[in-house]
Amino acid sequence: MNPLDPRIHEALDGEREASALPEELARAVRPLERAVALLAAHVPGPSLEGRVLAAIRAPAPRRGGRFVQWLVTPHSITFHVRPVWSVAFAAVVAVLTLFPTGHHGPDIGEREGIAQFVGRFPGARSVSVVGSFNDWRDGSIALEDIDHDGVWRATVVLPTGAYEYMFVVDGERFVPDHLADRLVADDFGRENSVVIVRPARR
Amino acid sequence: MGVRGAPSDAEVVARVLGGDREAFGLVVRRYEAGLLRFATRMLGSRDAAADAVAESLVRAYRHLASCREPARLRTWLYRIVANRCKSHLARRPVGDVSLDEAAPVADPTDNSAALERTEQLALVERALATLSPEKREAFVLKHVEGLSYEEMAAVTGERIPTLKMRVHRARESLLKLLEDHQ
Amino acid sequence: MRWWLGLALLAQPVVAQSVRPRLEGRIPNDAVPGVDSIVAVASGEGLPTEPLIQKALEGGAKHVTAPRITAAVQASLEQLRGARALLERAGDTLPVKTAEVTTVAWALRRGLPQPVVERVVAALKPPRAAALHAVADLAAHRFNVDSSADLIIAAIHDGLQRERLLDVSAAAAHELQRGHTHAEALARVRAELPNVPGPPRPTANAVGRARRVATPPPP
Repeated sequence: MNPLDPRIHEALDGEREASALPEELARAVRPLERAVALLAAHVPGPSLEGRVLAAIRAPAPRRGGRFVQWLVTPHSITFHVRPVWSVAFAAVVAVLTLFPTGHHGPDIGEREGIAQFVGRFPGARSVSVVGSFNDWRDGSIALEDIDHDGVWRATVVLPTGAYEYMFVVDGERFVPDHLADRLVADDFGRENSVVIVRPARR
Repeated sequence: MGVRGAPSDAEVVARVLGGDREAFGLVVRRYEAGLLRFATRMLGSRDAAADAVAESLVRAYRHLASCREPARLRTWLYRIVANRCKSHLARRPVGDVSLDEAAPVADPTDNSAALERTEQLALVERALATLSPEKREAFVLKHVEGLSYEEMAAVTGERIPTLKMRVHRARESLLKLLEDHQ
Repeated sequence: MRWWLGLALLAQPVVAQSVRPRLEGRIPNDAVPGVDSIVAVASGEGLPTEPLIQKALEGGAKHVTAPRITAAVQASLEQLRGARALLERAGDTLPVKTAEVTTVAWALRRGLPQPVVERVVAALKPPRAAALHAVADLAAHRFNVDSSADLIIAAIHDGLQRERLLDVSAAAAHELQRGHTHAEALARVRAELPNVPGPPRPTANAVGRARRVATPPPP
């Protein structure tokens, strides 16, 4: 194990201005920052509140009693996803914030955010997303299916705001994102999905 | 804080000690996300972490009167969970951190992120699992939970120089491991 | 840090300037004169024009016929007029901001009843986009619309503003997923105000792979 330059530790410990680190040192620490960002993500699952309150309402258990046995029994949660269309279901996410430092993507301005578009389109030859963020111009935001598993994705930087959009499959078929929380009539007999892009920096 | 609808920790503790045990639900809701993440990173298993945190919160409720500084309830809770995790790890062979957990359940508002993070998170968790529990604890408290060294000292009972040394060694080990996987 | 800036930009009027160059080749030729004249009317009335242009471009992209495009753009103009009338009724300082007109039109299109929109508008100074989207988000989760507006107004009174209001609606939806009834979910979130969790952080990977796209030229 090679000791790190002490300036890195000082910066990470808040004893030195991180932005003043030389570029090579800042670069060296980026894998760590990415790892921390992953580890800092919310751990999904049901709230423990009901479980804890049920326990404290019950009489104090005898040591090793049945309550402990119940408490340590794992509980599972299942999410049901409703199918949409015969060949496609899709989801979109307006991603909302950004790590304060260390991102290795594009520089993102104060009035910009990140939108992720994800859809499952098995067998599609091409998928793109069109909407009020790109003048409904097909092809400017192409989704990719890098590992050929039928899940197409694009992650883009957009100005903050609310936008309507649809997916375009194989250059001709408009597919709404029915799993999006926000839908609005498009006045052409269909529904657009709505994405709200929040500032990446806060 | 005194803001309407948001009693301070000290106020909540006073309510619970005054007989309003349901008010403990506020404590759970306020801190469970951080505690669960901390325990998950320590134990490498979401289920084991949920058990550890639930047990810790029940224990905290039963011993709430011994919380000398209710205003520092958060640190006190982390201390209980940290001890619980260490006990849990001590009952298993060294290094036996479960990493065979199922992929994270997709947050319905962020399923794309869950889709793409699973693999990378697994890699980072494996690297974290190779650290000793003490270094792992120090690293997670510092960088994942964002505690100050003073708070970490209150959680772990260790001196600040010791904690700094652990964090520094943890950073170096993790960077080396992550570079090896680049 | 104004996340509604996008709306504000979209709402800038194209004063005395033909939008034909943006439309030609993107919508059927037959639709261009009609749309251009509707946009000119909106501009003359001080209404936002970008939503109208977007509606026309959307119709063109979706290969909709010229009459349907023109009708949809005309309908959008009526929605904007209705939105401005609502803002005036609610007592907004005149002239009302075009961004607010766009925001209210959005809220109505998302299905919020006019009285509810009026109530939120009266309770909050501009910008109101986040508040109205938060109420609409709650309504989309089948929360009682009036109670939804109550919750968001309470959140505003408790100091939450702008995009943080979206976290309030997200928190209520989360309570539903935890198995609570709609009424319970609203009550639980309200009891916790102003403490609602922030939005999830994107993965480092997501940030790293984000790319810029060619955005439309400013109107």
